[in-house]
Amino acid sequence: MQPEPTLGGAPPPTEQATLASRERLLVCLSPSPFSLPLIRATKRIAEAQGARWYALYVETPAHSRLSREDQELVSQALYLAAQLGGQAVKVSGFRIGDEILAFARDNRISKIFVGKPYERRWRRFLGLSLVDHLIWHCGLIDILVISGEGEEAVPGAPTALKGRRWLWEYLLAAGGVGLCTGLGCILFPYLALTNLAMIYLLTVVIISSFLRQGPAIFSSLFSVAAFAFFFVPHYYSFAVANTEYAITLVVMLVVSLLVSGLTTRVRHQARVSRQQERQTAALYEMSQNLTAIDSLEELLKVAAEQISTIFDSRVTILMPDSEEKLRIRAGHPFSDDDVREGMVAKWVFRHGHLAGAGTDTLPAVKGIYLPLLASQNIIGVLRLETNQPDRLLGADSLRLLEALGAQAALAISRENLSRQAQVARFQIEAEQMRNALLSSVSHDLRTPLTVIAGSASSLLEGENHLDGSTKQELAQTIYEEARRLDRLVHNLLEMSRLQSGEVKINLEWHVLEEVIGCALAQLDSQLQEHPVSISLPTDLPLVQIDALLLERVVINLLENAIKYTPAGTPVEISGRLQDKEIWVAVADRGPGLPAGQEERIFEKFYQLAPRSARGAGLGLTICRSIIEAHGGHIGAANRPGGGAVFSFTIPLVEGAPILDKVEKNLPDEPDHPAH
Amino acid sequence: MNPTILLIEDDAQIRRFLRASLVTQGYELIEAGTGREGLALAASRVPDIVLLDLGLPDMEGLEVINQLRTWSGVAIIVLSARGQERDKVANLDAGADDYLTKPFGIGELLARMRVALRKTLPTEDNQPEPTFSLGQIKVDFERRLVFRGPEEVHLTPIEYKLLTVLIKHRGKVVTHRQLLKEVWGPSYIEQNPYLRIFILNLRRKLEADPTRPQYLLTEPGVGYRLRDE
Repeated sequence: MQPEPTLGGAPPPTEQATLASRERLLVCLSPSPFSLPLIRATKRIAEAQGARWYALYVETPAHSRLSREDQELVSQALYLAAQLGGQAVKVSGFRIGDEILAFARDNRISKIFVGKPYERRWRRFLGLSLVDHLIWHCGLIDILVISGEGEEAVPGAPTALKGRRWLWEYLLAAGGVGLCTGLGCILFPYLALTNLAMIYLLTVVIISSFLRQGPAIFSSLFSVAAFAFFFVPHYYSFAVANTEYAITLVVMLVVSLLVSGLTTRVRHQARVSRQQERQTAALYEMSQNLTAIDSLEELLKVAAEQISTIFDSRVTILMPDSEEKLRIRAGHPFSDDDVREGMVAKWVFRHGHLAGAGTDTLPAVKGIYLPLLASQNIIGVLRLETNQPDRLLGADSLRLLEALGAQAALAISRENLSRQAQVARFQIEAEQMRNALLSSVSHDLRTPLTVIAGSASSLLEGENHLDGSTKQELAQTIYEEARRLDRLVHNLLEMSRLQSGEVKINLEWHVLEEVIGCALAQLDSQLQEHPVSISLPTDLPLVQIDALLLERVVINLLENAIKYTPAGTPVEISGRLQDKEIWVAVADRGPGLPAGQEERIFEKFYQLAPRSARGAGLGLTICRSIIEAHGGHIGAANRPGGGAVFSFTIPLVEGAPILDKVEKNLPDEPDHPAH
Repeated sequence: MNPTILLIEDDAQIRRFLRASLVTQGYELIEAGTGREGLALAASRVPDIVLLDLGLPDMEGLEVINQLRTWSGVAIIVLSARGQERDKVANLDAGADDYLTKPFGIGELLARMRVALRKTLPTEDNQPEPTFSLGQIKVDFERRLVFRGPEEVHLTPIEYKLLTVLIKHRGKVVTHRQLLKEVWGPSYIEQNPYLRIFILNLRRKLEADPTRPQYLLTEPGVGYRLRDE
């Protein structure tokens, strides 16, 4: 079977380390507390030699018969190995010795460390000891046997409960064989001896497909004995009448032992593959669900829910905030009555090791705490509390939990990376915008400044020979350019204030006509060359707006019209009530907009013909910010018959004061103060 | 005697430009670079008009106005930057007479100053005038009649009152608050929308093109002003 790396925690040593030393060490683990000192010893030796090292556990069918405590010992040992920098590997197989040697050869191991184990004397006597097996078959590999440091390595002592269950299984096996013997007695007159043997074999198959290996072997031995005693002449004795019967019995013994062995193996295989299938399915589902999500919050929520469902438990994901303090980001909030919970979470976050209930580290809390590791960084902690208070997660579940955690961490870091990329993109865009602003603004500031400085110096130097009208013209130019500069600076300031959110919209009931009038008054001198017509219904209701901001919109739209249309062409302002909004348009008879640019012109620093006209291309962007802040829309289009039309809407708000009410609300005869 | 102007302004270039313009116009100019200096000069020289810049290095413009107003009724014209509408309103309500938004033309400043001086300098007759006329508009106070050109315009009592308050302060900005207080009374000072509706109606009755008013001017965010000349 393929070795599967069990833990993601330990990165494999780098190539450099392997080049420096050809040594590769392997430590063999068993379900014994002695595995832990054995791992530490191996790690010390590996460190001294600069060697790469592996920790191997061979999962045999016997593994499932181990008590929960012993299974925990194995998973703890694997965790420890991974934490100490070894590569922790678990393989499935039947013969521990063969699997170890196969792994050692595949990975070019130079030294194998095994603990001096407690083994039954008879196995040692028969040469079935693991150490003996390794020594006999190791070839060039060194085998080092390390003895326990004062502690006797005892395989998990069977608990009382476990003992009773075993006894029960043996009784069941004995009962099955007894039943079969009874049936044999009834059928004896009608059946040939070989067919009776078949019935016994069937019984052995049935028993071994339900019970463990021990009772299965017991049932095969017991059935051969019963068969020999009851049905093989001489009856009611183990003595066998002739050699043919002896052969039958030997064959039956061998076949039944083989069958029981095979059946248990098949069951083990099935169990392993069922488990793997479950894990694969869970991982697959998780990865499917997580890939589709693109917000971190949602991702954490889904991951927590998914893991909760798989383990029938409450899952919480904790991540550090900006001050590196762990905060619950998703999942089930847990009570912080027990300060230890928080402490364990912090410990796990700092050390990156699994801890909490059911582990060997800080087990006195209710939750299991799993570090979420993404590319060597601890990005958070996953807490899991099973819904059954006394149930702990087994080694397999822990492995699955860790795999799911790793996957969640991967998804989180992927999300983080994409967000970082987005931030970087924004920064680049902001940088480009700053550059555009700088070049645009410096151009737009310099032009009027050049004109002002030039005109002023002409006035200064030409004091005596300039005629009156030229002086007047120069002064007028200075005045107009200064005004233009002022508007530009104002737009820039307004833009940055709008962008920074500094502008508080000051909504009040206003008369639209008045706002448009103010805008027109401000542009009086520029509008002299453009006839302006205004058509507004006289019965427009009051609108709730920030008058100064809306005035800015109208000014910018008018300036835009003046800028892009030849002198003498008319500008038309119109408004009307439609549905639940007021629609206002500023239309001109200029060259219109290039097709497809209707939306782009609202972008920052966009100008129809760069450099050809003045202004930093901010006007329309400001208009859009303001109109959108009022809940309206702004757009541009070409007019039938030539020219462009810019229009915006302002939503109507209920409860506008109307004149009738005004007359009633305010006393028509003013109340005069006493004096 | 020429009117005395106290200019409280910290920027030397603005002082230079104003000095050049105002002295040529025949005003006597006193200059102060800080609020404290300005207050001291206002007390010692007793100017006719104070031109007060809002961005003084040592004190808030509002504080200068408040201190001045404790002992002086001198006309105060505030020079402020754009976007400071709230400050303008606060200053006007604290007792400033008018304001100018930078950048301003000297013509605008001189007009404001003439209006401010009218208030402080004694006129030939202090009696209320029997009639008022501005362009096409004529008001006969005694008969409470208003004409636009040759035609009589019918105003509601409130509209008439509003117009007379604006005439009383003609050429000078009147804040929304002041108008509401003077026309309707102190309990109506928050009713800006109603004021706007009345102004709109008044414009429709008096202006040739109510959207581009010639007489009843809006001071955005601050109040209204009746054109003076």
